Order: sequence, then C-alpha cells, then structure tokens
Amino acid sequence: MTSSEQAELIVFIILAPLAVVTALGMVLTRNAVYSALLLVVNFFCLAGFYVLLEAQFVAAVQVIVYAGAIMVLFLFVLMLLGIGNEVVVKEQMRGQRPAAVLLALGLLVAIVGALAAGVFDAEPASLAAANEGGNVEAIGRILFTRYTFAFETAGILLVVAAVGALVLGKRQP
Amino acid sequence: MLFGQRLRALAGWIATLAVAAAFVVALAAFFELLSHPGEERTQILRGYEWFTSGDLRVAFDLRWDPLSALMALVVTGVSSLIHLYSIGYMEHDERRETFFSWLNLFVASMLVLVLAQNFLVMFLGWEGVGLCSYLLVGFWFNRRLLVVNPLGRLVEGEPDDTREVWAPPAAKKAFLANRIGDVGFLLAMFLIFATTGSLDFDVVFGEAGALAAGTATAIALLLFLACTGKSAQFPLYVWLPDAMAGPTPVSALIHAATMVTAGVFLVARTHTIFEASGTAQTVVLLVGAGTALLAALIAIGQDDIKKILAYSTVSQLGYMFIGVALGPIGYAAGMLHLVTHAFFKAQLFLGAGSVMHGNDDDTDIKHFGGLRSAMPITFWTTMAAWAAIVGVPFTSGFYSKDQVLAAAFEHGGIGLLAWAIGVFTAGLTAFYMSRYVFLTFFGERRWPEGRHPHESPPVMTVPLIVLAVLALVAGFALTTFTGEGGRFQAFLEPVLGAPEEHESLAAAAGLSAAATGLAAVGAIVAWLLYVRPFDWLALRRRWAGAWRPLAEKLYVDQVYEFFTVNLGGALAAFLARNVDQRGIDGAVNGVAELVGSSARSGRRLQSGLVRSYALGVLGGAVLIVAFLVFRP
Amino acid sequence: MHPLAQATTQPLPLPEVDWRAIAPELALAVAGVVLLLVVAFWPRAGRGVLAGLTLAGLAAAAALTVWNWDLERVAFEGAVSLDGITRYARAVLLAVGALATLMVAQGDSREGEPDDSPPEVFPLLLFALLGMVLLAAASDLLVVFIALEILSLSLYVMAGETRRLAAQEAAMKYFLLGAFSSAFLLYGIALCYGATGSTNLLEIADATGDPTADGTLLLAGVGLLAVGFLFKVSAVPFHMWTPDVYQGTPTPVAAFMAAATKVAGFAVFLRVFAGALGGLVVSWRPVIAGAAVLTMLVGAALAVVQTDLKRMLAYSSISHAGYLLVGVAAAATVPAGVSASMFYLLTYAFMVMGAFMVVQYVSRLGPPDDDAIGERSSLEDYRGLARRHPWAAGLLAVFMLALTGIPPLSGFWAKYYVFLAGIEAGLTWLVVVAVISSVISAFFYLRVLVVAYLQEPVGDPGAETAPGRTPALGVALGLAGLLTVAIGLAPEALIAAARSAERILG
Repeated sequence: MTSSEQAELIVFIILAPLAVVTALGMVLTRNAVYSALLLVVNFFCLAGFYVLLEAQFVAAVQVIVYAGAIMVLFLFVLMLLGIGNEVVVKEQMRGQRPAAVLLALGLLVAIVGALAAGVFDAEPASLAAANEGGNVEAIGRILFTRYTFAFETAGILLVVAAVGALVLGKRQP
Repeated sequence: MLFGQRLRALAGWIATLAVAAAFVVALAAFFELLSHPGEERTQILRGYEWFTSGDLRVAFDLRWDPLSALMALVVTGVSSLIHLYSIGYMEHDERRETFFSWLNLFVASMLVLVLAQNFLVMFLGWEGVGLCSYLLVGFWFNRRLLVVNPLGRLVEGEPDDTREVWAPPAAKKAFLANRIGDVGFLLAMFLIFATTGSLDFDVVFGEAGALAAGTATAIALLLFLACTGKSAQFPLYVWLPDAMAGPTPVSALIHAATMVTAGVFLVARTHTIFEASGTAQTVVLLVGAGTALLAALIAIGQDDIKKILAYSTVSQLGYMFIGVALGPIGYAAGMLHLVTHAFFKAQLFLGAGSVMHGNDDDTDIKHFGGLRSAMPITFWTTMAAWAAIVGVPFTSGFYSKDQVLAAAFEHGGIGLLAWAIGVFTAGLTAFYMSRYVFLTFFGERRWPEGRHPHESPPVMTVPLIVLAVLALVAGFALTTFTGEGGRFQAFLEPVLGAPEEHESLAAAAGLSAAATGLAAVGAIVAWLLYVRPFDWLALRRRWAGAWRPLAEKLYVDQVYEFFTVNLGGALAAFLARNVDQRGIDGAVNGVAELVGSSARSGRRLQSGLVRSYALGVLGGAVLIVAFLVFRP
Repeated sequence: MHPLAQATTQPLPLPEVDWRAIAPELALAVAGVVLLLVVAFWPRAGRGVLAGLTLAGLAAAAALTVWNWDLERVAFEGAVSLDGITRYARAVLLAVGALATLMVAQGDSREGEPDDSPPEVFPLLLFALLGMVLLAAASDLLVVFIALEILSLSLYVMAGETRRLAAQEAAMKYFLLGAFSSAFLLYGIALCYGATGSTNLLEIADATGDPTADGTLLLAGVGLLAVGFLFKVSAVPFHMWTPDVYQGTPTPVAAFMAAATKVAGFAVFLRVFAGALGGLVVSWRPVIAGAAVLTMLVGAALAVVQTDLKRMLAYSSISHAGYLLVGVAAAATVPAGVSASMFYLLTYAFMVMGAFMVVQYVSRLGPPDDDAIGERSSLEDYRGLARRHPWAAGLLAVFMLALTGIPPLSGFWAKYYVFLAGIEAGLTWLVVVAVISSVISAFFYLRVLVVAYLQEPVGDPGAETAPGRTPALGVALGLAGLLTVAIGLAPEALIAAARSAERILG
C-alpha cells in the first residue's frame, strides 16, 4: 500500500461514519434548522468522497452549489418563515415506521448484494486517464460533445421548474 | 325521437315492419338456396374487410348455408310475430320506443351471430345479443314486480307474494353468468387462432380433424362453457329464471326462442371441433341430460307462470344439447327440436303474457283457475303448444323430442343413459306443463274479487294463433314419420354431415311408445292432482317437507348466493378497507374531511396516506430488486 | 476506450447538430417559449387565443413529424433515436395534446364566470408534451431521466393549477411520490452505468451480450429502472397515487395524464426493456409478468367498488396498464408485442380522453360549487343522463364499450392484438389472467351505462345550470368518439403503421 493509498484510507475512515451519522441525524431530528445544517455537513462529506475519487470538479460544485447556494437559500426560507420545530405529523397507520425501516434494510441488503457480486472483487480503476489534461477540461469537453443533447434539454427542465415555481407562487393569496 | 309523439306511437309498427321485411328477404334467399343442388348450398358473402395484416384476415364475411338459413328464418319469423304482439303488450309503456329499438338491435345482433363466417363476427353478434338481453331484462328497472313466494301458502298468515324491484339484480345475474361464458368464447378463439392461424370457419373446420386431441378438447370445452352461459345450462343456468323480470315478449323472444338457442347453434356450427374430441361430446351430453332433468324437477315446484316456463326452457335446451352432442345422428334432431321449441315455447310465453295482461300482471298460478271461458283464444292456443311440448303424437314436439331420444338410443353407450334420463324427463315435462295449464285454465276460479279477466286484443292474439298452428304442424311439415330424418335432415346434411346408419322403423316406434306412454302418465297424474279428485292445496300442506326442496329450486340458488354474495361481499369489503384506503364511498368524503382539517391548519396536507403509498413503492422496489439479485 | 478519455484527445471535435431529427421537439419548445412570452407580456389574452397558439404549435410539430416520417437514424451521438416507436409515439402524443388543449381551453368555465386555471397551463402543456416526445425518442438513459423530469415537473404544476384543495392535494401527492420514484430510477441508471460503463442504450445492449460479465449489478439496475417506469405507468404496487391524483386534479389534466403519460411511459419502457435489455429478457420477464398480473387484477377488482367516475377511470387506467405490460413482457421475444402495445396506446389514449371529456361535460352541468373539494364526478350525477343529454350519454356509451373491449370498437382490437402477442410469446397463462380481468372490468364499465340509461335522474332537471356554450369540448368529444369508432371499423392502416414500429433502434 502506497502512502497516498494510506492517506486515502484514513480520510475515508473519518468521512464515512460522519456521512452516515449526519444523514441519519438529518432524517431523525425534529428541528428543521438542525436538519438543514446536518445536511450541509453531509454534503461536505460527499465532496470529500469526490475528491478521493479524483473528481475534483464535482467536489467543488458540490460545495459551491449545494452546500453553498442551495442550502443557504433553504435555510433562509426556513428562518424567514419561522418554521421552528412544531411540525409533527401524526402517524396515520400503525406499523408504518417499523415497516419502513425493515423495507429500507431490505433494499440495502439487495443492493449491497448486487454490488458485492459485481464490484468488490473487480480490479480498482483510476480516473488518471480520463483526467489527462485536467478534470475540469475533460468534463467541459464531454459536456459539449457527447452529452450536448442532454445538456441542452436540461435547460428546458430549468425553464419548466421556473415556470412551475412562478405559477404555484403566484396563486397564493 | 325527432318526430316526437307521432313517431312514438308508430315505433312499434315501424320496428315490426322492419323485422317482417327481414323475414321476407330471408325467405326469398332461402328459396334461392333451395334452387341449388345440395352440395352447392353454401354461399359466402365476402363482406367489408375489417383488416388484413400478414396471414390474419378478418373480414365481415357472412355465410348463407342451410344451417344459417334455418336459424335466420326462425329468428326473423318468430321475431316478427313477437314484435307484432309487443305492440299490444307494451301499449301503455311510456318507454316503448326504447323497447322497440333495443328489440330490433337484438334481432340484428342475432342475425350477425347466425350468419357469421368467422369467429370474430360471431363473437360480435354473441356480445351484441348479450348486451341487448342485459338491457331488456333490466328494462323495468324501477317497477315493482310481483314476486311469488316460493313456498306458497305453507305458513298461515304469510303473504302469498310481494312486489319488489327485482329487474336490476336479475339483469346483473344474467350479465355475470354470460360474462363467465364469454371468457370461454374468447379463450377458445385465442386458442383456435394460436393453433390454426385463422378464425375463418372454413379454414378452422378444415384443420379441426388434424388438431391434437388435448387441444381439440380444450377448445371444445371452452366453447361449451360459452354455451352454458348463453344457453342456460348447468352450472350457469341460474340467470334464466331470474331474467323473467323482463317484459314477457322479451322472455318469449330472447329467453325462449332465439338467444338461448345460440349455444346449441354454436355446437352445431363448430361440430367438427366437437367431433375431434370424444371427451367434449360426452361432457355436452351429460350436462345436457343433467340440466334437462334438474330443471324439469325444479319446474314442478314453481308457482310463478313465467318461472315454470323458464325452467321448462332450460330443460328443453338440455334436450337440444343431447341431440347435438350425439354426432351426425343427432344434429338434425337437435336442430329440429330447436325449431319446434322456438314455436311452442314462444307461444307458451306469449300465452302467459296474455294471461298476465288480462289479469292485472299477476303471475301467481294460485290466483288463476277456470280462465278457459274468459280467455278462449289464449286457452286454445296454449293447449296447442301444451300438446306440442308434452309430445302428443303428430304435434311438432312429438317429432323433435322423439328424434332426439331415438338418436340417443341409437348412439348407444353413454347415449343410453341420456336416453333414459330423457324419457323420464319427458314424463316430468308432461306433469309440470299439465299442472301449469290445469291450474291456469281449468278448475274453479281463484282470482280475487274485483278482477275481470279478459281476452287480449287481436294484435296479440293473431301471433298466438299463428304460433299455435306452427306448434301443431311444424314437426309434420318439416319431417316425415319414417323416423329416418326425412327432408329436414337431408336439408341440413351438406353442413352437418350424414349419419352412418339409420335406426330401424320398429325400434323407433317402440321408443316413441315408451316416451309417449310416460308422458301420458305424467299428464294423467297432473289431472288427478290438480283438477279432480284431489285437493292440491291440502296435499301440499300435508307434504310440505317434500314440497319445500322443489319450491326452493333444490337450493342451487342459495348455494350460489352463499359463494357470490357472502364471499364476494367479504372480498369487496376487504379490498375497500385494506387496499384502497380511501374506501368506497369514503372517497369524496375523505377528501372533504382531510381538506377541512388542512384548510384550518393552513398548509398541512394529508401526509399519512402519502407515506403509506411511498411504503408501497418501497416494498415493490425491494421485491423486484431482491428477486433479480438473489434469484438462483 | 473510456468516454472521458476519448473526450480529452485534442482538439475539441464540435458536435454535429442534426436539426432535422429533432424538428418536432424544437417546434414544441419554441411554441412553449412563445406562449410563455405571450402570457407574460399580454396578460389579457383570452383563453381562445392561447389555445389557438398552442394548437398552432402542435400543428407545426405534427407537420414536422410527417416530414420526418421516413427518417430512421440515431442522432446526437446516440442521445435520440428516430425509429418506429419515436414517430408513432410522436403522432399519438401530438393528437392527445390537441385534444387536451381543447379540454383545457374549455376548462371549468361557465356563462359569466372566470376560469380558475392560470394561463400558464398552456405553455406547461406544451412543455409536458415536449418531455413526453423526448422520452419516447430518448436512447440514452440520461436523456430518459431529463425528459421524464420535464414531463413530471410540468404535470405536478398542472395538477395543482386550480385553487381547489383536492387539486392542491393531488399535486402534492403526485410530486412527493414522483420524486421518490425518480430517485429509484436515477439509482437504477447509476447502477446500469456502473455495470456497463455507459448510459447509452445501444452500448448497454452490447454489454448485455457479453457472457463473461457478471450480470448481478446490471440486474439490480434493471430492477430499479423497472420501479421508475412502473411508477410512471401506474402499475401495481406503484399505483396508489393514481386514483387520488386523477380524482383531485382538474379533469382536462387528469385526461392528459391518463392518456399521454401512458403513451410516453410505455414507449420508453419498450425501448429500454424490449430493446436495450432484450438480452436479459429471461431475467426481467417474470418481474414484468408478475406486475402485469397484479396490475390487471387489482385495477379491475378495485374499479368495481368505486362510486366516483374519475376514480373508477383511474383504476381502469391501472388495469389497462396491466394489459400493456403483457405487451411489454411479450415484446422482447416477439416483435408483434411492440406493435401491439403501440396500437393499444393509440386506441387507449382516445378512449380514455373521451371518457374524461364526458366527465368534464357532466361536471359543468351541476351548480357551480364554490366550496367543492373536487369536481363533480360521482356516479350519482350520471343518473338518467341519456334522457337529459342523449349525445353525451351516447358518446359515454361508445367510450365505455370501447374500454370494455367490445367489438367492433377500437378497444377490442387493441386487446386482441396484445393478447395474441402474449400467446405468441408463450405467455398463455398471462393472457388467461388478462381475459379474466377484462371480463371483470366489463362489470364496472357497463354499470356506468346502466346508471346513465336505466336510472331516473335525481332531483329537478330544471335546477341544472346552463353549462354555457361548449364548442371546444364539443369538438374534442366528437373527435374522440369518431376516432374510437373509426379505428374499430378500420384498424388496418394503423396496425400496419404500428408494425413499422417493431424495429427498435435502441
């Protein structure tokens, strides 16, 4: 194991539990603001993972766009509207919560099973070849060649989202 | 409807003329057909092409051959008479123009059914007649109809009868039974297409002989399932007696003379498929014989004139199925019985309608008696039809029933069992039909004070007379008394094939004597019980325990009801409670409630249901992924 | 070579833009943007003007579709495929869009009463259609996802377009559950990428042919893709939102969802499963077949117990999804499965739109309900309809009988073809279940007719408010009825067109 691999392992061992704990905390806490803040921490952990995976651009976007812009906007809204911790929706059906936990575990087992069969014994690959000439440049190239169509259609998606927000927002008295 | 009242008054005549015109055309085409030699009597009218793609060609082809010509003549002829009769019978009904338009639609669908040249067109007609039957049974959807107490005056103080709205449930029952049958037809059609690659009769029948035995049996049994629904055979016969909630002309036309015989026609039409499967033929034979006996037994215990006739129809249809199940020796006999039955049973129903018309829509046999003098034409014509169904020698029913039984005897083996059941049932038939006419037209008057039974108008009695004459002479006209099938059989031979051998004259005469003798015994016993010297009401009270099962229709309906109503209801309730959480009627109210609360609290929406829906999505996802990943 | 590595080789090869291939989509996008501008800068434009512009956009797209009819190619480096499915789905979707435009134009308006729905519903309708035609044409999983999100977002907003609380609730439910299912789809795409190294359907198809690769990871991805698609076409057990949403949303939107979403959803279903993943058919067929059985039976059984027509139609649409799944299950091995399903979608779209149009017509007869939760669609409102509105009742009869599958109406042929394809694919048991389900379904369709034809109207017929003139709705109703009857009488040409859709380009 080379020293860089060791460093990677150490970072991962620190980040992984943190990511899981913050994700759980975000779902379980009843305070919306805590929840949002825990999500921000979670996003930072994810950004760390991206760096470990040599996807620096995605990591940067993760921090700037998600943790920076979107979550801050979200927190603003929460605080402006004064939504505290009173949102407690009554359970409608008995057994809903345990059933949800069980099913989620089931899905976890199934997907981990699939990953175990296909991934864990595969030879680890590196992005070194893809990142030749810089990660950002590579993404830029592929976005404007191979994925042009998807990229452009995403624009329409944004237009629709904006119009939708407008329509729904305008209707409130 | 555009011309308003004037046209409404004329609707009946227009409809009648239309059908009569169809009859005339059919007659002309029939004589044209006769002008050809026997082998060339199959004409196929290549009609409008529905579509062709690849090797599948579906066209609106019609077939004019002796079998379809015979059915077309019966359908249009009897329909014309019944339409005419309906003008009088439905005179005071405010929706008579609707009635006549549905009746005409029925005739059109029935003609499509019998003239079809491929299974798809036939299915179109098959569905069409079912739909019309459904609509017409439910025609008096809000009228309170007389319900005769099945047990009669067994318990003192219990009312004889009540009036209830029973057309909608009856229509529902008819619909359900027919839909079960339709599953059979559809599946048979798919199976036929999958094995022969075509739905055209000529192609399919040409390949029927080459079918694997199992496939042929499957197709034949599926087709027969369709027959048991449409032609009211065990186990699906229960809808027909209830269908009597429809107007009486409907009962006569659809539920006696034409639609219910579609099953018999189907077996005759597809006889090559049935011939390819001995098993299927045996099943048809046994179901036919069993139904004949069961329905005759139940008919004995009924007090409602229309229900007696309904069970009688079920029983007679059983005879027809015996005939067509026997192979070439029986086809002509079964079809002959179909024709004669169309005449005499139509007359009996119309006669019953006439009795009801003259007696304030009463259907309870206990309230009649001695109507002989008040309604002479109805009486005499009904007696003619009675003679036919009982099998008085030289009437039409005598010939046809005789030929069915003779064919069964000749067939041997399992046919002998059908023959024995048939002869015994003939005795029962004589008994219950005699009971019916004796209690209605003979004996003392039992109708309530203030009722003035009267004869019906000519527009109703003319069809009665025509049908009565046909009931008497049709058998003689259509066949000869050689017992060799005669002209009728020869006419159908190009379609249905010739029997290999003919029974001897001596045996035929002996067989006729057995059935006729037993019928005479049945009629005489009925006379002794219901006219003189016995007091039938006293006897019924004394033997209540023995009478009850007959009056209760041998409890078949109750058993069905248990399974459908109780289990079905429980299932529906379960679904409503546990699967569709909004519930049945709660759907709208539920929204109201939860929106009421969400409106108050401002923005909180019903999230509980969303959670459980999401749970369903998650559950489905886990199932699918786990199945795909951990599959061996 | 890895796509990223490929991309880094100098110099930047500028992509070829195949304008013609996506001309109908461009027309829809342009029309949508134009309408947005009109709404923004001319607030007083009437609904008639907006509907006219929308129809003009649709007509342009339709003309371009016809222009492109014989085009068969893969464009934009595999992002979209032009093949039979694409053009057939385009044609059906544009027709459905036109009918929906007419319904929306009619809206809930009565004499002298403003309509509640905002003018933005017209551009949203166009964007939703754009998403749908893109979905049908997409041959890259990324494009599939984006197209699906375009149509979903538009529909979420359209579902909640009016102030009615039921509509709000429906929109919220649809949004929450739709987002949930999108997550599954996205994860599925990720796993497929992980297993095959590509999101392109053609490349995935090649990868499934490799026998040495371990397929488990791909299969997990396939399962999650199935979840996403099954949710969109409302198959059991992913169907629970359907009745609530159809009942709550304004009727035109419900009709559009029921017809158009199914067309687009099944088009992509066929392309991905029967096309790209055809090699894995042995693995996924039990999943689809199982879902088909559940969907057909649960849909039919629950429709029987409904007393609200919109809700009943929702369950009916669920059971129809089940029949279509029979076609999908057959499609991978039997090409006729593809054409049968496409033809089914065509007929179903018009039947179900027609049924909803009658609902819209009848809901406008009652008194305007200010406090009402949703729209009037209880079966009670249909009592004696034949007496009061014979034309509406007659059309209702046509649509109900067609949905039942009674010959000679279009629905019969649709079922017939799908069932035949099922038998051809060796799925006879599945077809038996389908026949049984269609028999159960006859019960609730015909019950509507019994209510309309055989029951007395309740209340005083004079109390009915004048529904106002209904030219748009009348035209739409006439068209839908005509198509349903005409396709039934002469299905040949359309089936032949569907047969040309059997070849999937990936």
